[in-house]
Amino acid sequence: MQTTKEKLRLPTPRIEVTDGANIPDPSDKRLVTAWSLAITLALLALFSIIVLRPAPYWDILNFVKDGVIVTFQLTFLGIGIAIPIGLITGLGRLSKNRVINMIASFYVEVVRGIPLLVQLCFIYYGVGRFFIIPDMLAAAFAMGFCYGAYMGEIFRAGIDAIDKGQIEASRSLGFNRFQTMRLIVLPLAWRTILPPVGNESIALLKDTSLVSILAMTSILQRGKEYVSSNMSPFEAYGLVALLYLIITLILSKGVSIMEAKLNYYDNDNEYK
Amino acid sequence: MTTTTNTNNSVAPVSGENPAPAVCGSEQGKGAPIVRIRNVYKFYDQLRALNNVSTDICSGEKVVIIGPSGSGKSTLLRSINRLEVIDRGEIIVDGKNVNDPNEDINLIRQNLGMVFQGFNLFPHKTVLQNLTLAPTHLKGMKKEEAEEMALKLLEKVNISEKAHVYPGMLSGGQQQRVAIARALAMNPKIMLFDEPTSALDPEMIGEVLNVMENLAREGMTMIVVSHEMGFAREVADRVLFMDKGEILEEGPPEHFYENPQHPRLIQFLSQIL
Repeated sequence: MQTTKEKLRLPTPRIEVTDGANIPDPSDKRLVTAWSLAITLALLALFSIIVLRPAPYWDILNFVKDGVIVTFQLTFLGIGIAIPIGLITGLGRLSKNRVINMIASFYVEVVRGIPLLVQLCFIYYGVGRFFIIPDMLAAAFAMGFCYGAYMGEIFRAGIDAIDKGQIEASRSLGFNRFQTMRLIVLPLAWRTILPPVGNESIALLKDTSLVSILAMTSILQRGKEYVSSNMSPFEAYGLVALLYLIITLILSKGVSIMEAKLNYYDNDNEYK
Repeated sequence: MTTTTNTNNSVAPVSGENPAPAVCGSEQGKGAPIVRIRNVYKFYDQLRALNNVSTDICSGEKVVIIGPSGSGKSTLLRSINRLEVIDRGEIIVDGKNVNDPNEDINLIRQNLGMVFQGFNLFPHKTVLQNLTLAPTHLKGMKKEEAEEMALKLLEKVNISEKAHVYPGMLSGGQQQRVAIARALAMNPKIMLFDEPTSALDPEMIGEVLNVMENLAREGMTMIVVSHEMGFAREVADRVLFMDKGEILEEGPPEHFYENPQHPRLIQFLSQIL
């Protein structure tokens, strides 16, 4: 039984990425986990300060709430740009065509070698001088361009980890390379790719705080504006920190739930 | 399954260093050649994985290829549907040169069902979806039509009750039977088996060989890389013994039991029989 059973199991390597949030393990069914503790305390802290001291905190919350919306818009746009770029980059890095491979690798090297903040300034102010595009789109493009390189590495590793036998089986049936990628490789790779992509997405959300230097109304920017008029940095930045924490905790749980859903076919039950 | 009479007999004779003896055709009491392998070489760096291999496979013929590991038998099988690209020589399947860039290899492959040692079922698709995926996408078959056909095939391999489970729930023997059905779903003219029972526990080998024997009885052209000499004796028309990238000896299975010639073959048989 052992030998066949081991053969059946697909390799499911986890791709560890150090920044971003900690994605809760979907198989962890305990009530008290680092995640549940953190979310409970964060929500408790948020409610208690608002209820007990509405004077600065409720005002701050009202003041920064449009920043929350901007942050989400920017995050979703940024991810929407980063994932296709990441996929193309990942495929490019796996390409046997030297030129394509070189272009993709060059992009990754360059982007990873330049701090995000510098890239943001360059794209937003520098490149933005030549093209008239809305602020939001410019910022989202800058984030997506940068995170596309990070995600490219995830896609590369995820696609590369797919059992070559799957590809051979698909090609033997008569599927061409594109069909094989679309019908077999990507759906299989997606399961491996999802946790780190979710992780990067959360990291992207956190990094949207950087756009406050571009005078975009992210949560942090709104917090700064509040501080400049009310001189209460502890309260304002404390609340901003709490908001970021709650958002990332909820999103990381969301990724965890999606991950569990993708395991539908990976049944560890003994076959009947 | 329909037996195929080779429609294309007009394959140009290949100029060869050693023309293979005519093993196919009506004089030999067999079908027309459906796979022609001519002076095939395959190199891995210094190693000659295939060293001037030539043979014909006749329509409806069952050929079992045996040989020690590293003898090139899997490489030869995989060259037939171009999972391996050969370095010299020609492989012609049903009148089409598989290494000709002007031929659509994906169309050629639709006529070549392949069964792997490791099953390679698609784990994210149910058993039924594994069978219907290719016919619906590649032959434009309607979903209902494809499912009806798939269920018939699953019945044929005795596993219809598992149509809606994922492959991860099945035993190795069950998976391999599904894999055979999946290959049959494209209605191929030729079936290639690459050590189909080597990854199986002993008690599951029989059920897979049974399915293959039934298939053989229906007249399918089969090329099987396997060490199952019992199976070879039962169904093979011809057995090829390969070593170091060459076909050293070939003949009907009885020949291998009764009168093996080459010392390497005698040594090999003493180990597996």
